Amino acid sequence: MTKRFAGHVAVNDLSLAVPSGVIYGLLGPNGAGKTTTIRMILDIFIPDEGSVRLFGGVGTAREHSARVGYLPEERGLYRKMRVMDVLVFLAEMRGLERRVARERAAAWLERLGLAAWRQRRIDELSKGMQQKVQFISTVLHEPTLVVLDEPFAGLDPVNAQVLKDVVVELRQSGTTVLFSTHIMEQAERLCDRLCIIARGRKLVDGSLADIKRTSTGQHVTIGFDGDSGGAAGVLGDATIVKKVDHYGRYAELELAPGADPQRLLRALVESGARIARFELVEPSLHKIFIDLVGPADAAEAEGGAA
Amino acid sequence: MSKVWAVARREFVERVRSRWFWISSALVPVFFAAVVLLPTVLTEASGTKRIVVVDGTPPFGAKVADALSEGRVFRASHVAAASGVVDSLVAEVGAKRLDGVLVLPPSFLDDGAAEYRASNVSSLRDVEELDRVLGQLGTEVRLERAGIDPALLARTQLPINLTTNKISGSQTTGESSKQSFSLAYFMGITLYTVILMYGVNVKSSVLEEKTTRIVEVLVSSVRPFALLLGKVLGVGAVSLFQLALWGAAGRALLHERAALVSRITGLSAASDLFQVPTVSTETGAVFVAYFLGGFFLYAAMFAAVGAMSSSEQEAQQAQQPIVLVLVLAFVSMFALLGDPNSNLSIALSVIPFTSPIAMPVRWAAGDLPPTELGVSLALLAVAIVGVTWIAARIYRVGILMTGKRPGIRELARWVRAG
Repeated sequence: MTKRFAGHVAVNDLSLAVPSGVIYGLLGPNGAGKTTTIRMILDIFIPDEGSVRLFGGVGTAREHSARVGYLPEERGLYRKMRVMDVLVFLAEMRGLERRVARERAAAWLERLGLAAWRQRRIDELSKGMQQKVQFISTVLHEPTLVVLDEPFAGLDPVNAQVLKDVVVELRQSGTTVLFSTHIMEQAERLCDRLCIIARGRKLVDGSLADIKRTSTGQHVTIGFDGDSGGAAGVLGDATIVKKVDHYGRYAELELAPGADPQRLLRALVESGARIARFELVEPSLHKIFIDLVGPADAAEAEGGAA
Repeated sequence: MSKVWAVARREFVERVRSRWFWISSALVPVFFAAVVLLPTVLTEASGTKRIVVVDGTPPFGAKVADALSEGRVFRASHVAAASGVVDSLVAEVGAKRLDGVLVLPPSFLDDGAAEYRASNVSSLRDVEELDRVLGQLGTEVRLERAGIDPALLARTQLPINLTTNKISGSQTTGESSKQSFSLAYFMGITLYTVILMYGVNVKSSVLEEKTTRIVEVLVSSVRPFALLLGKVLGVGAVSLFQLALWGAAGRALLHERAALVSRITGLSAASDLFQVPTVSTETGAVFVAYFLGGFFLYAAMFAAVGAMSSSEQEAQQAQQPIVLVLVLAFVSMFALLGDPNSNLSIALSVIPFTSPIAMPVRWAAGDLPPTELGVSLALLAVAIVGVTWIAARIYRVGILMTGKRPGIRELARWVRAG
């Protein structure tokens, strides 16, 4: 599908297939078109070209709204409403009966430690509590597809853990979870499948293992113990090292085609560097992401994550 | 459809539950009571006055003192006239031990001249009461002197009771001219206030959902038009509920007005500009029809304003043209009351944007040909459909847009889109 806004193309000929029952990550730097893609999936925006099909059949996300849960990127609830009323209302919008919604909401509030707050107004809650309430509202109607736009952004570590647990639990119960993020570590740990997009285009998609396999070349992680000696010179040798990501006490590198890792290790030892760790690894998702997206966009993404 | 209902119910419950709703429900009747009662109460609030009648024509003075004491204005005693009595009583008034002195000279029954000396002689109530008692008793005495039995005279007097009744379509409506005026006046004020107030409510509601981004979640499960419809219906129901509360309070107040005034001031309210209006079924129907029409028309526009703005300040600016039209309709009410059948009045009551206020005012103030009413209602209905169509399109695009408020050209593009 394609979506254009005044003057620019937000999403360009993007094609996604999300199998049911998996956790699917939509990765990309800021402005890559993640939110626009999600909005098109949810029938909030209509694609200029192409179409969205849900649950293997016809019908828009709005027609299937009882089976879809959505957590938008920018959070917000009715500030003057009471917690329980907000939850019941939003569940009603998803076609749930009021009585059922009330019971389930009570159970969820209990589980997330908000039982005492059910009759309080939203604006009396802390930000973290509001995020929990909004998350409850996303899954209260027990959807089979949950779409989370940057769910971990702005969460404190405790809430992030709660959210992660719930996401994993949803998958175990057969729910499909589609979420967007620019935090690679989370995606790497959570996703069964993922898609990396930049500037509105798909760069790669598939399972994490597939993506790592297709990324060519041998990768080495090196840890230095204090003095890195003349290591910088060795790492700069284009006959051995193709690409390097040097953090000072730690470096990730891709070997030049045909280069022998043993030769690199010998050269490093001879240069006087003290090696704490030398490991042949598959590349991290982070590394793949930066290689694919390009340093400029990646820097932007990292800036956004900070 | 059940989702439209859910949206409407949320609007209704949250609004009726708010403190603001009950404050405005209570404040308006209080304000109304103040307007109706205060002028009378303020001039009359001085309480019972102690006065002495200096009697130059015994035993007439004693009768006057008794009659005055029977009312609630004065507590009167009497003394026989003698030299120095008036001076010493005036000294008492100066010392504030007495409120006033009524001097009846010996010639009173011949020429009716009397004198009231008091610290405060500007109270209309006091003077009216003195006039009434002296006139009545003086007339009785003079009739007796002329050999006429006052009871006979009372029997021969014909009390005039002229009632004015408005004729509507050759049928008497039971609404008098004073009532018509006050009814038209209050209908105009109420329509203006409620349409503006609840129109702004719709705008705030749209804006809240937009700025908190709840609207994204909502729009992914209901069509934007259904959301807009539910919102307008919910807020409309709140406004009708509030109108009903005001109506009940106002009715009770007007009904009990005479009793209230006399309890507070001690006098029966003789002449009022604002009489208790009898609202005929037709008038009630016209009022409700135009209220609903006006509300839907303006609510749609206010919703569009909320959707195209991204902050309360922006919305304040964007709503100016709409408020201006509404104020114009309200102000024109005074011209309408002066001459309900001028060309201007007719135009105002047919043009859809002013008719919701102008037409009920004209209807209440005077007779109206049914064709005019029909044309006005038809145009209003057409305008509602047209304006809602445009507003819904602006709403649909606007609620998902962020950033700068769109210009006219941008808006036109929104309306044309899909």
